Amino acid sequence: MLTIEEIKKQLKDKYQNSIKNFDSPYSTRLFVDIDKSKVRDISNEIIRMGGRYLVSVGYDNIARDKTLGLIHNFSMDRDDIFVSVRTAAPVDNPEFDSITPDIPNAGWSEREYIDLLGMKFKGHPKPKKLILADDWPAGVYPLRKDVPWNLMPPAAEDVAYELDEAPEGCTTIPVGPFHPTLHEPAHFAVFVDGETIKGCDYRGFMVHRGIEKLCQTQLTYNEIPFVAERICGICGSVHAATYAQCVEFAAGLKISRRAEYIRTIMLEIERIHSHLLWLGIAGHLIGFDTVFMQSWRVREAIMWYSEKLTGNRKTYGMIVAGGVRRDITPELADELRSVINTIDKELMVIYKAVAGDTSIHRRTKGVGCITTEEAKLWSLVGPTARARNVDIDSRRDHPYAAYDEMQFDVPVVDSCDVWGTVVVRILETFEAIKIIRQALDKMPAGPIMTEFDENVTPMRHAISAVEAPRGEAVHYLISGEENRPERWRVRAPTYPNLQGVPAMLLNDQFADLPIIIGSIDPCFSCTDRVVKVDVRSGAMSHLSSGDLEKISRAKKTAGR
Amino acid sequence: MWLTSKIKQVLMVLKPGVVTLKYPFEPHPVAKDFRGQPSWDHHKCVGCGGCAAHCPARTIMIRDVCQDLRIMLYDGSRCTYCGRCADVCPENAITMTEQYELATNDKNDITVNMELFMLTCQRCGRCYNMETTNMIDKMGLKGYRYDSLEARAVIPRATEHLDIKMLEETEHYKRPQK
Repeated sequence: MLTIEEIKKQLKDKYQNSIKNFDSPYSTRLFVDIDKSKVRDISNEIIRMGGRYLVSVGYDNIARDKTLGLIHNFSMDRDDIFVSVRTAAPVDNPEFDSITPDIPNAGWSEREYIDLLGMKFKGHPKPKKLILADDWPAGVYPLRKDVPWNLMPPAAEDVAYELDEAPEGCTTIPVGPFHPTLHEPAHFAVFVDGETIKGCDYRGFMVHRGIEKLCQTQLTYNEIPFVAERICGICGSVHAATYAQCVEFAAGLKISRRAEYIRTIMLEIERIHSHLLWLGIAGHLIGFDTVFMQSWRVREAIMWYSEKLTGNRKTYGMIVAGGVRRDITPELADELRSVINTIDKELMVIYKAVAGDTSIHRRTKGVGCITTEEAKLWSLVGPTARARNVDIDSRRDHPYAAYDEMQFDVPVVDSCDVWGTVVVRILETFEAIKIIRQALDKMPAGPIMTEFDENVTPMRHAISAVEAPRGEAVHYLISGEENRPERWRVRAPTYPNLQGVPAMLLNDQFADLPIIIGSIDPCFSCTDRVVKVDVRSGAMSHLSSGDLEKISRAKKTAGR
Repeated sequence: MWLTSKIKQVLMVLKPGVVTLKYPFEPHPVAKDFRGQPSWDHHKCVGCGGCAAHCPARTIMIRDVCQDLRIMLYDGSRCTYCGRCADVCPENAITMTEQYELATNDKNDITVNMELFMLTCQRCGRCYNMETTNMIDKMGLKGYRYDSLEARAVIPRATEHLDIKMLEETEHYKRPQK
């Protein structure tokens, strides 16, 4: 077990001259201000101490001291500490050392700030466009404060994203942006040799809604939870809760215990319905529609209950900074108990019926394999990681809300394939039911809202993580003036997981692509939350359907 | 193994039977506290604009067209039905109804336009509602009648932090003389 003092000491011993300041407003948060020349070394040192890379945050600080700020965040899972390494570079030469060569998962974060803030990263292996549209004018960096939130540059016709070259002897098959196996727009260029996948390139971020910029310029602290909830259609409460916790950390606000219990119950209700939804979709993707229909039938009970409790099936609107909006009355608590009892029984029936089914085993076992080491290297999170024997769960590692008083297991399996994610998710649903039962029994009386005066000291930093059904959602907040955040960074769980997908696809069959991509429970819209434009020009020169037909016929006649 | 799974699956499917609802041919009632289309009670509204200030989707607009008339416009086409307006309304003039079948070709079907007759504040020149049912009158506070010019000078201060002591002071408040 490391303590903050030990981390400070170890960093001080090695990098005495590069470290400017330590700040630790809470016993679980450590902010380190460093010189930008040592970013890569200090990041590696924290990884060596047992850190896990979370996300980077870039922000515009030009008005204050003519710099662009960059924050790399790490989680010490065994010690319940978040370490944030803060650095800055002058705006006329915003160059940092890239940490991607050592931490591949940082690749997207860094590419994001190349696009959005005009930073440069020395040694980045793939500094291509990630977020902005292909026809976005060069030199306009939308997250900078001088760019208005509603800027709409004119569209251009003749630009297209340059996808990676297919490896020697491979054919490119485009999947998406609109494709029956993807429920949201994203483009995968899959390189296949025969039926075997040899690589893939991803072009996503087609559903930017500009949420972060919008909230930083237009909304106020207690309006943002409702927008945060709409980052994701499935794990809405998660984002609202993560955001609310960030604001409470920044404001130094302690909410009532009852509100924390209600938040816990909401998050677990969400986990139950999300996992049942995923189980259905996974069944559907492998052509097993019985599972799809039955698990969605079971799920319906919790959706109707949510409607009674919160006023809506989804987008509950329960969580705001300072507490929750509706109370769980004794009658509603009794009803919740009976609803989860029914789900418990019926899910067990489904589990028993599918667990031994050989057709499911054949479609999922040994599919989408990556090793535990690779999963750690790519910083995978959630059930995707736990199916690869990576034992992480923010509920246990960084207890928030009322999870410190809950008794539950974190299911971890070592099968390293898609089957593992199925098992983990079903077991987690049973755990969620267990947690709700405990929370209902232990819930103390008290107020559900604590007065939040919306008067947060500017430039306070706060980070918070919540275990969403898909993995860990991380929010970083810098408080600002005018009753709204200066910078609010959202990292949805799909963000790291999607970066690991090419590794999972490697050497698998093309027919398994839907279930492998589906196994991370991808949520492209959560991932693509940042700026404000759609990718307009999707024109890419790929094989037409006629070409494909010709090739497949040629292969057939050649005896394949 | 394969066969037992299939038998279990058949039983799993047969036991619940058909669960599909007959909706839309039969009505589907919603829960008691459902957050449907918000509705405004113009008798209760005092035109304070709290709903407009708190709406995350900015669907409620307030505009003073002249000294005595305040227009409140609710544009339902962008509403997210979060119910924040109903929460903050001091007069409980907003209720979230059970209406959810709101698909329409005409945007005006889900737009609410209210014209509120207001009085002009002698001090700041902006309008406020002075019907007999407004919040200030309900509280039965002394010195808040619109014809009491002396007391009106402290309204902006008093309404922010209602303080009994301060109210007592207002009884003897004297307007500053030129």
